[in-house]
Amino acid sequence: MVHRAYIGIGSNLGRRVANVERAFAAIGELGTLLAKSSIYRSDPWGKVDQPWFANAVALLQTALSPRDLLEALQAAEQRLGRTPGERWGPRVIDLDLLLYDELDIDETSLRVPHPHLRERGFVLVPLAQIDARFAALRDALPESEARSVSPLGESDSAMPIRENDSIAERVRALARFLADGDAVRVRITRPDDDIEVALRAAEPIASRREADRAPTKTAAPRVDTIKADLVGIFHASRPAPAEGDTFEGDRELGYIEALGIRTPVHSMGGGRLVSISAIDGTAVEYGQPLFAVAR
Amino acid sequence: MFRKVLIANRGEIALRINRACQELGVATVAIFSEADRDSLHVRQADEAFCVGPGPAGRSYLNIPNIISTALITRCDAIHPGYGFLAENARFAEICSDHGLTFIGPKPSVIALMGDKATAKRVVSEAGVATTPGSDVLASPEEAQSVARSIGYPVLLKATAGGGGRGMRVVRDAAEMQRAYAGATAEAEASFKDGRLYIEKLIVAPRHIEVQVLGDDFGNLVHLGERDCSVQKPSHQKVIEETPAPNLPARARTALHDMALRASRYVGYTNAGTLEFLVAGDEVYFMEMNTRIQVEHPVTEMVYNIDLVKEQIRIAAGESLGYAQRDLAARGHAIECRINAEDPQNHFAPAAGMVSKVVFPGGPGIRVDTHLYAGATIPPYYDSMVAKVVAFGDTREVAIARMERALRETLIEGVSTTVGLCLDILSTPEFRDGRYDIELLLKEPTPR
Repeated sequence: MVHRAYIGIGSNLGRRVANVERAFAAIGELGTLLAKSSIYRSDPWGKVDQPWFANAVALLQTALSPRDLLEALQAAEQRLGRTPGERWGPRVIDLDLLLYDELDIDETSLRVPHPHLRERGFVLVPLAQIDARFAALRDALPESEARSVSPLGESDSAMPIRENDSIAERVRALARFLADGDAVRVRITRPDDDIEVALRAAEPIASRREADRAPTKTAAPRVDTIKADLVGIFHASRPAPAEGDTFEGDRELGYIEALGIRTPVHSMGGGRLVSISAIDGTAVEYGQPLFAVAR
Repeated sequence: MFRKVLIANRGEIALRINRACQELGVATVAIFSEADRDSLHVRQADEAFCVGPGPAGRSYLNIPNIISTALITRCDAIHPGYGFLAENARFAEICSDHGLTFIGPKPSVIALMGDKATAKRVVSEAGVATTPGSDVLASPEEAQSVARSIGYPVLLKATAGGGGRGMRVVRDAAEMQRAYAGATAEAEASFKDGRLYIEKLIVAPRHIEVQVLGDDFGNLVHLGERDCSVQKPSHQKVIEETPAPNLPARARTALHDMALRASRYVGYTNAGTLEFLVAGDEVYFMEMNTRIQVEHPVTEMVYNIDLVKEQIRIAAGESLGYAQRDLAARGHAIECRINAEDPQNHFAPAAGMVSKVVFPGGPGIRVDTHLYAGATIPPYYDSMVAKVVAFGDTREVAIARMERALRETLIEGVSTTVGLCLDILSTPEFRDGRYDIELLLKEPTPR
């Protein structure tokens, strides 16, 4: 019996594009690779102070059952360098079984279609590229989510260096360029010499994609802390939010006033307000916890 | 005088500014990043606000959050320290737009002196010597004639230049034809503009700077020079001293005069430093730093003047209260910068937890540092963790005290440049006071 499965690929460690290419090859070994999307660059989800992701989707024709396929993908993740033991830890490569024929599976550790399929730009954009049936879902993405995903060119990128930069500033610029880019080969041209350096994959560094990796089937509700992301004076909404308030969708809980501009504080979706640490009319600093919301 | 000052910096300079404020009876507000929550400057200030995450671009350079903090806490002034926003003319303007005094020169002067080419042009209008050179050249023959008049070696540079492209070192007339053709072709290919100009190449110069202070009433003084020639290959300064050893009297007078002339010409106020290249007794203006310098303590030691307090007093509208003839330097001072980095590994910065710290003391020793046992050095910022300053009646006494102080210094948990500084102090070049900016490029001389 031959089945068709869509597999999502993600990497935000080491040489990301190369990691995705290796993942395509590993997936191909589990059957026949029928299609692969372009590689996209997507902004990190949740915590934003971490590296961008390289994402892609592959369409595989395979004889493996859903559970056998899942195990084979997990084995491939291990082989491609995911650190064992760190369940929600950083990923050199992350392989997700998105769809398997028309099956609807809801078992422990195996859910198909993938639960986040409809919300995530980094899944839907590449998926719609290789299967037009998903174009409508892609087009229904919120603008911010759609905008966070862009095609990744394979062209050379130049590192901007100013003439008057000291060597230290140039080295720092190079370090930033390497940290942020996905270069596999760097050519440094100077008046008297040319240096070409081939790079290998970097060691994994701590980084995680918390929001997306959080367990979805555990019993305890997730509690999100809503923090101030600027320095200013906090003002509560009227009527003032109270502990125990529940709300269906997003709710504006107050605003932070700074330099004459009011920046709203949102509940970031529905839930129950379990604690309030913000005091109306007082100064708040960056990162100060304001509310806790149970989802 | 101000009632409250926001200190827009971190590390030792934030502590230094906090100390000056405390002594002046001025309240302080510290800002910090999430990575610096346990830092000493946060504890010692009267109030402290987190303004962003670890990376400086989102915290110590986060202008809206910094201004917002100053307004919320009702500060009247902001001291920028060095680095970060210290030479950002736009930030100085924003401060004044919000009724906050920026402790430094006027924004227009920061902008004027911040651009190296403009600064050179402006100071040469004031009669200050800059590196000799030419306008755009018409031919290799013209290049040869200019080079003959300013003297070889010279640098051929592309007017559209950048990243060293279209640049050649030319050591004599015979090399000119070929170098000119090569540079112009490279510039044409890189920038679609093959035009070239010449600048004199100063070989193995000394890097000497002059401290100035000016107030709003037209009073302007210099506080001598600092020799900053001990530099890493990256041009980062390692050891500074004042007065500059073995400096010909003619060069010293020229340095001080030029510094005053250039500062007066641009209407400079507050503390500033003019950097020069010195070769023999020839002196060439290089650039001006419109802020307090890392190495300001050596000047404070020999002039017995608190430069940071002077900055605050001047910004608050007070008069200097003294003239050049009232100032006299006494003795000799040396500063060693202690960086958390590994000299054995190309000065790679070292981050981590400092498990044990012992700093030196005793006669003639001053230590400016934000380290303490248990402190964490975050990976985001400059690697300097301490400045050890030694004072003596003579240079020999100052060197002996510095060596003794560095041997007393103990920092465990990260590698530091203490050993490097001791090695430099023991070289014959440093001991004789005859060194230039190539000192650290040479083979190390074993102790």
